[in-house]
Amino acid sequence: MSTLRWIADRLVWLSAGIAGLALLFEVGVILVDVVGRAFGRPLFGSLDFITMSMVVLVFGAMALCDRRGGHVGVDLLQSFFSDRLNRAIDALSALLGAIVFVALAWAVYKSSQISLMLNLSTNLLELPKAWFQYVLIGFALATAASMALRAVELAFFNIDVRSEDKEGSHA
Amino acid sequence: MSDYQIGLMGIVVLLVLLLLRIPVAFAMFLVGFAGIVVLNGTPAAMSLLASESFTLASSPELVVIPLFILMGNIASATGLSRQLYNAAYALVGNLRGGLASATIVGCGGFAALSGSSVASALTMGKVALSEMDKFDYDPKLSTGAVAAGGTLGILIPPSTGFVVYAILTEQSIGRLFLAGILPGLLLLVLFIIAIYLVCWRNPALGPAGPQSTIGHRLRALVGAVPVVGIVLLTIGGIYIGLFSPVEASAVGAGTVILYGLVTRKLSLTILWKSATDAVGTTATVILILIAAHMISPFMALSHIPDAIGDFVLGFGLPVVGVLLLMLLVYLVLGCFLEGFAMMVLTLPIFFPIVLELGIDPIWFGVLVVLTLEMGLISPPVGLNVFIVKSVAPKVPIGHIFQGVLPFWLAMILCLLILVIFPQIVLILPNTMFG
Repeated sequence: MSTLRWIADRLVWLSAGIAGLALLFEVGVILVDVVGRAFGRPLFGSLDFITMSMVVLVFGAMALCDRRGGHVGVDLLQSFFSDRLNRAIDALSALLGAIVFVALAWAVYKSSQISLMLNLSTNLLELPKAWFQYVLIGFALATAASMALRAVELAFFNIDVRSEDKEGSHA
Repeated sequence: MSDYQIGLMGIVVLLVLLLLRIPVAFAMFLVGFAGIVVLNGTPAAMSLLASESFTLASSPELVVIPLFILMGNIASATGLSRQLYNAAYALVGNLRGGLASATIVGCGGFAALSGSSVASALTMGKVALSEMDKFDYDPKLSTGAVAAGGTLGILIPPSTGFVVYAILTEQSIGRLFLAGILPGLLLLVLFIIAIYLVCWRNPALGPAGPQSTIGHRLRALVGAVPVVGIVLLTIGGIYIGLFSPVEASAVGAGTVILYGLVTRKLSLTILWKSATDAVGTTATVILILIAAHMISPFMALSHIPDAIGDFVLGFGLPVVGVLLLMLLVYLVLGCFLEGFAMMVLTLPIFFPIVLELGIDPIWFGVLVVLTLEMGLISPPVGLNVFIVKSVAPKVPIGHIFQGVLPFWLAMILCLLILVIFPQIVLILPNTMFG
């Protein structure tokens, strides 16, 4: 189990790292565009870069968000529940999250088939939309795997990895 | 079973899941997806899931969320928040309750750098609580000031609250940002008045700090110049039409990074941590937004908003009465629900009523965000109170809630002023955008 967790954590941090790089890339692209515009030479296709790197940013960080316990929940009744029930709810939530991400990946995969068939692409740079849909699918499946593992850890080993790296990520 | 009954059942299931502590996003996904499957079939639900996920994740308007959070994270890590506090302290620290007022001003300044109220409370809490402790401030006042001051982060632009509202209701982010400026400043002033009144009634709560020398004051004010410059560049840039909100967020983040590099306060480790924190928070918010876009069509298909709208309008209340009723619902829900969750759950129902009654959506947005802000310090789940508790572990949670009470009352007053005088909200966006 610890090997699986080790692999999952590397996967989480790899995808979060890619998401972080996408964020810094966005800062750079927009700055170059703004400065270029001031000199009459805006960056061609900047909107395409921004929108597509946003997909990488958002879904690359999904696994990290879960790993850090960043999902927003209503813990009004938590103190009234027994530890066992709370753990069961946590495991169920993680499992439900894994199912949601698998469903999302499947839905986007079906959509990517249509994108390929219709040759859909971004407006200016004509980057194929399907590429980014595949990226989204990859990140969603990585998140689902990490969440499923967390559900197993909670249900059978009484381990909550989020407590090792708890961090509020509320806005 | 009618569509309406299916919708009602969906709401009940959603509430049960939320009370069971299932994360808001997953509960909404489940109910929204299942509801659409029942009412419109599986292909429609799958198609919606795919399109909304990709469309929202690639939405250029949402870029402002990670960029402004990145800006706030780096500003905090490079000591810009400390400089803000020092400047405010130099100005009002020697007055009775002055350190608490300086905290509020510091929070207001930091709010203009960051879109997050939690980040504001956490950052200013680390900076200000030890100072107030040093000068024997009552922990109720000091923690209350930090918790309440932190809420300014969501009203003073840039604000993630406004971005989420804008996406959910298809309003202009730029308009909302500008609309939040004057209410944010009004609330800041009301907070300072609340501190003054509390300390006037009981001077022992907030003793005056030592008088700063003119040299010290000047140094502190000069130290705040970079922060003021960055705020003027970003928010001022939006106001004069130099930048769109997205461009302003990148310019702000880029400038803060540049400042950190030039002053050698920004290491690669800090940049890495700031960036991963920013993307993690963004993922949280956008996942909730995607889930909200699953549940909204379900609500619309079940005609629940129409039924509730008809029910509310059936009372024959004047527009202001309906508005106050909705705000009352937000105030009550704010005691139990996380702010964004409250917004995504209620707006699909309330916003059609708002439009039908001809209430200005920008004005309504500011009022909603203000009530959402109140939820951050309302018992029993006031998030900012728990954030302050994490910074001041020795102060009992009950004392912090007592400490925020004067500020909560100031927020109620602010809400009433904004309801009576919508011009305070609308004058800046109307001047800029027409």
